[in-house]
Amino acid sequence: MIPQALIRSVSAALYERSLKKIPDDTHAALKKAQGSERDATGRRTISIMLDSADAAAQRGELVCTDVGIPVYSVKIGTQVRFEGAVRQAIVDGFADLVQNIQPPILKMITNPLTHERSYAGKDMPLVTFDVIDGADYIEMICAPKAMGSGRWEELKTFVFPSLETIEDYVLEVVMRAGSQPCPPIVVGVGIGGSFDYAARLAKQQVLRPVGEVNPDPMLAAMEARLLKAINAMGYGPMGTGGDSTAMGVHIDYAASHGFMPVAVALNCWINRRMGARIGNDGSVAWFE
Amino acid sequence: MSMHTHVLQLPLTAEALRSIAVGDEVRLSGDITISIGLPTHKRMLEDVQAGRELPVDLKGGAFFHLSAYLEDQPGGGLPRALYMNPSTSTRYNPYMPGLISGLGLRLVGGKGGLDAASVAAMQATGCIYLSFLGGGCPLLSDAIEGVVSSHWNEYISQFRLTTLRVRDLPATVAIDAQGHSLYDSLQQRAANRLPQIREALKREREQALNASPLNRLEK
Repeated sequence: MIPQALIRSVSAALYERSLKKIPDDTHAALKKAQGSERDATGRRTISIMLDSADAAAQRGELVCTDVGIPVYSVKIGTQVRFEGAVRQAIVDGFADLVQNIQPPILKMITNPLTHERSYAGKDMPLVTFDVIDGADYIEMICAPKAMGSGRWEELKTFVFPSLETIEDYVLEVVMRAGSQPCPPIVVGVGIGGSFDYAARLAKQQVLRPVGEVNPDPMLAAMEARLLKAINAMGYGPMGTGGDSTAMGVHIDYAASHGFMPVAVALNCWINRRMGARIGNDGSVAWFE
Repeated sequence: MSMHTHVLQLPLTAEALRSIAVGDEVRLSGDITISIGLPTHKRMLEDVQAGRELPVDLKGGAFFHLSAYLEDQPGGGLPRALYMNPSTSTRYNPYMPGLISGLGLRLVGGKGGLDAASVAAMQATGCIYLSFLGGGCPLLSDAIEGVVSSHWNEYISQFRLTTLRVRDLPATVAIDAQGHSLYDSLQQRAANRLPQIREALKREREQALNASPLNRLEK
């Protein structure tokens, strides 16, 4: 039985951890980029990025002031029993975080009709639910989304697009973002399904650890060549020039109709995400 | 690119900016004014255009798209700035040329750059754009010595017009006073490289498809 209070405290902790420490795989990818970057400004920028990430982790500070909006992906094992309300637990967990986090966070949640900003809002936190058949645990991932990368994400619906059309569109979105999404970025691509499904696939791919090879050989090859293509563009770290524009391109697809949406999601270099697996026995295991 | 490090102390003259080029590193000390509020920019520009004084003297000064958390003190007095970090500058494009020339700003900055109209205003005025590290909150905040003033406090923290005293604030010069913009030149370079990039993609795509017995996505 998973109590409401546990989901509430884990929701708060996930958000805080995601703000104060970049994932290990991302740190490793930046280290690697530091070694291969040929541009002097780019190398200097990556080394300041690593210093900043290390300082935040050591001192328990925020890596970025734009803490974004709270976004949670929750997968529920079908063998799990709950005591209390799940959605309310996440809402309350975020409210607890706002109340208790040190240093305090800025108001980022914005009413899209009035532009009024506060610490709460309609449908906040944004939560998506999925199931894991047979599992006796739930998985929660918190990936706060901010303007730096959030404003450049796109979706376009094509009709029977060739691979070339799809890949050109990915390049087009990355070029439109150019220097602005705090590169080196992670690019998540969702192909097919429906309008909403493609966006969800793209988002899930952004959350995939950097450096993990796609098990589908056709997608793995597509990811490798797109990564090379993006890094040949030259925007570099923080968009002030260099070879390191993306750390990874992650792609998934779903069967579709003749209309085929392509969604491109982006994450900035701090690549915020934090996960937890909560067992039916009340155990909590953290993962990035 | 050859890089230099410039140690800058505000206030600055236009002459002091002449030897500074894109890609250079800057360590900045002195009083900087910051805000990331769109309403703030609108109000500033309206005041400048109407010839009204802003609550803080920005003539020849530094105005950055940095957001700070200001902790108001019990009993009033100056707030404390707990941390700061840059925001994307391009959304202020409509306001910046008027603010740069109207106030004679020497330094602007944030991240992501400004458009051609701002670059032209910067060249005419003698102004450079500094790129601060997004996600550089701990390091940038180390440079904060204190809050000098905080105006338009009816806005949320990051929208206020706040002046901070900083010491050795690190940044990269991304637009210089000679009209060079790293953002424009990099965007141009990427566009120039695109045909070659697409050619390479095509070659690799065909190789991969030939190697694969199943051509699933195109069936």
